Amino acid sequence: MSRYLNCEGVSRRDCLKLGLGGLFGAGLVDMLRLSGQASGKTIAPRATSCILVWLDGGPTHYETFDPKPLAPSEIRGEFHPIETNVPGISFSEHMTKLGAMADKLAIIRSIRHNQGNHGAGNHYMMTGAPPRIPVGCGAFVSFHPSLGSTTAKLKGRNSGLPDYFSMPRMSRSGGPNFLGAKYAPFIVPDDPNKDNFRVRDVSLPGELETARFDSRRDLQGAIDRLPRINEPVAADPVVALDGYYEQGYTLVSSPEAQAAFDIHSEPDELRDAYGRNDFGQRALLARRLVEADVPFITLYEGGWDHHVGLFDRCRKVLPEIDQTLATLIRDLDERGRLDTTLVVMLGEFGRTPKINKDAGRDHWSNAMSVLLAGGGTPGGQVVGATDPQGYSAVDRVLSPENFASTIYTKLGIDPNQILYTPQGRPTHLVSDPTPISELMG
Amino acid sequence: MRTYCLIILFCSSLTAQAEDVAVSPIEVSLRGLSNRKQLLVTGRTGEDVADLTRSAAYMSESPEVATVDERGVVRAVGEGTTVVRIEAGGQQQSVTVTVTNLAEADALDFERDIQPILTRRACNSGPCHGKARGQNGFQLSLFGFDPDFDHQSLVKEARGRRVFFASPEESLLLTKPTGVDPHGGGVRLERGSEEYELLRRWIQHGAPRRQPDTPTLETVSIEPESRIMPYEEQQQLKVTAHYSDGSTRDVTHMATYQSNESAIAEVDESGLVTAGKITGETAIMARYQGFFAVFTPSVPLPGEMPADYYDQLPRRNFVDEQVYEGLKRLSLSVSEPAPDHNFLRRAYVDVIGRLPTVEEARTFLDDPSPEKRDQLIDHLLAQPEYAEHWANKWADLLRPNPYRVGIKTVLNYDNWIRDCFRKDKPYDEFVRELITAEGSTWKDGHVTLYRDRRSPDEITTIVSQLFLGTRLECAKCHHHPFEVWGQDDFYSFAAYFAKLGYKGTGLSPPISGSEEMVFAGTSGDVRHPLTNAVMQPRPLFGDAREIPSDGDPREALAEWMTSKDNPLFARTMANRVWADIMGRGLVEPVDDLRATNPPSNITLLTALGDDFRDSGFNIKHLIRTITTSYVYGLSSLPTERNVVDTRNFSRHYRVRLRAEVLADSWNQIVGIPPDYQAMPPGASAKEIWTHRVDSQFLDTFGRPDPNQDPPCERTTDTTVVQALHLMNARDLHEKLISDASWVHQLAESELQPAEIVENVYLAVYSRRPVEEELQIALDLYENTETSRRAVTEDLLWALLNTPEFVFED
Repeated sequence: MSRYLNCEGVSRRDCLKLGLGGLFGAGLVDMLRLSGQASGKTIAPRATSCILVWLDGGPTHYETFDPKPLAPSEIRGEFHPIETNVPGISFSEHMTKLGAMADKLAIIRSIRHNQGNHGAGNHYMMTGAPPRIPVGCGAFVSFHPSLGSTTAKLKGRNSGLPDYFSMPRMSRSGGPNFLGAKYAPFIVPDDPNKDNFRVRDVSLPGELETARFDSRRDLQGAIDRLPRINEPVAADPVVALDGYYEQGYTLVSSPEAQAAFDIHSEPDELRDAYGRNDFGQRALLARRLVEADVPFITLYEGGWDHHVGLFDRCRKVLPEIDQTLATLIRDLDERGRLDTTLVVMLGEFGRTPKINKDAGRDHWSNAMSVLLAGGGTPGGQVVGATDPQGYSAVDRVLSPENFASTIYTKLGIDPNQILYTPQGRPTHLVSDPTPISELMG
Repeated sequence: MRTYCLIILFCSSLTAQAEDVAVSPIEVSLRGLSNRKQLLVTGRTGEDVADLTRSAAYMSESPEVATVDERGVVRAVGEGTTVVRIEAGGQQQSVTVTVTNLAEADALDFERDIQPILTRRACNSGPCHGKARGQNGFQLSLFGFDPDFDHQSLVKEARGRRVFFASPEESLLLTKPTGVDPHGGGVRLERGSEEYELLRRWIQHGAPRRQPDTPTLETVSIEPESRIMPYEEQQQLKVTAHYSDGSTRDVTHMATYQSNESAIAEVDESGLVTAGKITGETAIMARYQGFFAVFTPSVPLPGEMPADYYDQLPRRNFVDEQVYEGLKRLSLSVSEPAPDHNFLRRAYVDVIGRLPTVEEARTFLDDPSPEKRDQLIDHLLAQPEYAEHWANKWADLLRPNPYRVGIKTVLNYDNWIRDCFRKDKPYDEFVRELITAEGSTWKDGHVTLYRDRRSPDEITTIVSQLFLGTRLECAKCHHHPFEVWGQDDFYSFAAYFAKLGYKGTGLSPPISGSEEMVFAGTSGDVRHPLTNAVMQPRPLFGDAREIPSDGDPREALAEWMTSKDNPLFARTMANRVWADIMGRGLVEPVDDLRATNPPSNITLLTALGDDFRDSGFNIKHLIRTITTSYVYGLSSLPTERNVVDTRNFSRHYRVRLRAEVLADSWNQIVGIPPDYQAMPPGASAKEIWTHRVDSQFLDTFGRPDPNQDPPCERTTDTTVVQALHLMNARDLHEKLISDASWVHQLAESELQPAEIVENVYLAVYSRRPVEEELQIALDLYENTETSRRAVTEDLLWALLNTPEFVFED
């Protein structure tokens, strides 16, 4: 049968297929928006979860994964390269533990873009879309849904557990934009390195006993008398909330579900290996959330804007990051989860070649290094290269769009699909939907 | 199988008897390229109307002059005259067909004759060659808004392979869409079809850009324009294009169709509408070359209502009359009136944004006056909280990202908005002051509109959408796909803002904190992006006054926008306020008023807009009109004959309380004043001046992300995170068990358990417990193992976690 529906058309059949037969009163725009859910091709997911480590401020590429020993000293810096366990690949000297597992890692050295401000760079890397208007460094902006929010919308499990965690805060452009507040990250601000740490809201508060909670729940059931309108066409929102309460109760009262948040049950040795600091313990919590099948977790780590005293600062923070990341990847691997979990580490851009007068490096979006592991990513490889002095990506130059498309494709999300804004405007999920082939395995 | 179907069809056409059968048109004249015509056959029996077009039998007396197919389409074959005979509904009719000037059909014009094919086959749509960088190297303008570009692209690019004059059949324009050559978009055109032939002949004749004296398309009409359609009935549409020389063309087969709600009635590519099995009204749009026409089907609930049912319903003002008229069209009934406590809760939440306190609830419930509902509305409208609640809603729409414009600027803007509501500023004045704002971002809060939206095109988009319910954004880059607006309209409107002047510190990294002056300047222009012509200010429709050479064009615009003759201005606001109070708009989304997205009740929206205008754009008057109607006080519980209704206000629609309302109500009940950052202690959530103020509670219940651009209407979705937060949030828990809480006060008081229970029910549900509820609670208090305080905590926790608290019922 030939149907000359305009490409953006949505037929009743589509709606029924989507199970939306009862959802009317929605208007054209809503229909279009809903049709966005079905516009992508079905892609077999390679990874079921993604842990995205965001080093806010823009981590230096020289002192992490792209050392330039042959560059003059004002570029080369104070650190030396080290050999990794993959012949021919060197990292900078503090990345020892990651260096010892380079066969499991892929490093992209050749992403470059044109957004040298924090606000803009964050937006580009967190969403795969450049900001529409010039954005200052201090700005927090959102013009497009983030990787995490889109994943929550398209790969959410509706299980009771939030689908997108961001800890301890949301990265600037990590929000849902037009997808709506439902797909905003679930923020866990508290420090998991503290003894009394609990994930907010998903467990009983404070010292409330389970028995008391159960009796409260019984009481709630007994006094709840608001009549429900059960005909689906009436679209009673109370019925939807009932479902969420049911999920919430299951989550709170199921020991298996609660185990996902309980990092106190981890052996001390492992907790030490992750690093006894907030970031280390957050990474450990992320691993537990992965085991509970949460599809997207952002670990936000501030303080990477090293305009001043870069080397002193890096001597402290690089070993910590190195230890935590290496432990996370190894731990996932030992539990057989690395193959289905994508671990990514990046910031908004790299840093300037010439060391400035304050022994720091400034913003530099012509080159940056991004780490990937797991989720079927072939390890032991470096994708692309910068020139011998690290000024610019020169070989296999890639864009943030390629990066975002890689993440989406691995998660089984077609980056070449159209989402609809509440304005009814069709928006490409990623404008260049080409993933990085070397990383696809 | 096929024979079987034919027999069924044959039988049904025999059995469908009609008293009166009419064919439209009664005479057909075909000439040149206007070489086909859709016939419509309509049967009438009493008040029932049925479309017989597809079931009628057709026969042409001289097929060498014109043929007719089983769908009633007449096609020219040779010059001359013939008669088409039609048998339908047990009656016979005939139509005379004249065919002349067939040779004109070779004078093919790219814009008039070829582009519609590309649009109809979706070649130039967004996902295909219409996207910004084209598809596979071949780019067309989106929806064909730039014919010169498209012609160039087809004829001049790709070294002439797209159109190949020497052998038209080998042109890529024909081999790709027919699948002869591989085509990513699949087969879009059949070899030998009418459109294929047109394209082939156009190439054969040298693929001309235009023909001399080609008339321009002026409008598109549809037949019929509306109809009552019982469940699963069908209606064939006919779409006609009208040209500047008075000629017309049947473009039924070339239009693209879209249903606004295909569950109510869907439409196929031939313009055949099929009603579903859901009651309601919708709009079906037929679009042809940037013009469109709308067919409105009404699908009533099967079965009949008693004739005098609607006459006997109570009426308190014109709102009721109009709502009943709409329900009558669809044969829907009206729910019972809601009890007093429901009305009380609604009125507090809708007018001042919080639940009534225990005392307020008691006073109202015990008041015997028959006038008490109206009195309550008047009382609430006079409260200071009214201004904070409604200003909070407007701040959602106007408030910019402080990281963009500066934090002090945002505070000033917020103060200005609140001040307008505190002073009851008439809505037209509010908008005029905003549109013509001048001054300093540090003194005159409302100039922030122009600090945030800096270029004329950005301002155009927000101003037209907010105040006229007109979404122009599409027309910035191409003709609006569902509207009459094109780039000319967009940039002429933008030209009103061309002379805007700025002085001081603009948006500068890192924090954009400094002062800026915005003023009406003397220079600057807006140019059309395609023609580069300087655009003169022109309103979207109607006339605006002349702009003196030294005047601020924005004054003329503000006058036109807020004029009593501009129906969109009053209606947009009326619809917004209606949606806030009634749970959904007469038009949804609330700021998208257009012919292709009609209101669920157009006479009601018109009347509401007129009444608002005649009140001097008095917002309180509008709120009072809605909340004192009988319809506002209906129960949310459906009847058998209105459970299907979600748009016509036959009952009250439940809505989850808005984030600020829920937070303020929760805090009021538990008795612990909130302490928000950057706010005086005890200030309520609705007084918060920026979404940057941290609050997990408000974020959880859908306060917009402050980073987001453009700002979004919020949704009242429920989520699992909301359930978890109300159940388990640590700070809520700590407040509930705190010594400062109301729970503690109640436990320590002299009150009897029954009195405590009554207080708690009044606080959370705005009603007293029924006997059974009271008994459940009293049993808890009788258990000596748990303390009075613990029982009260549990009871309050349980009530605060039921939908009767979370929703406006």
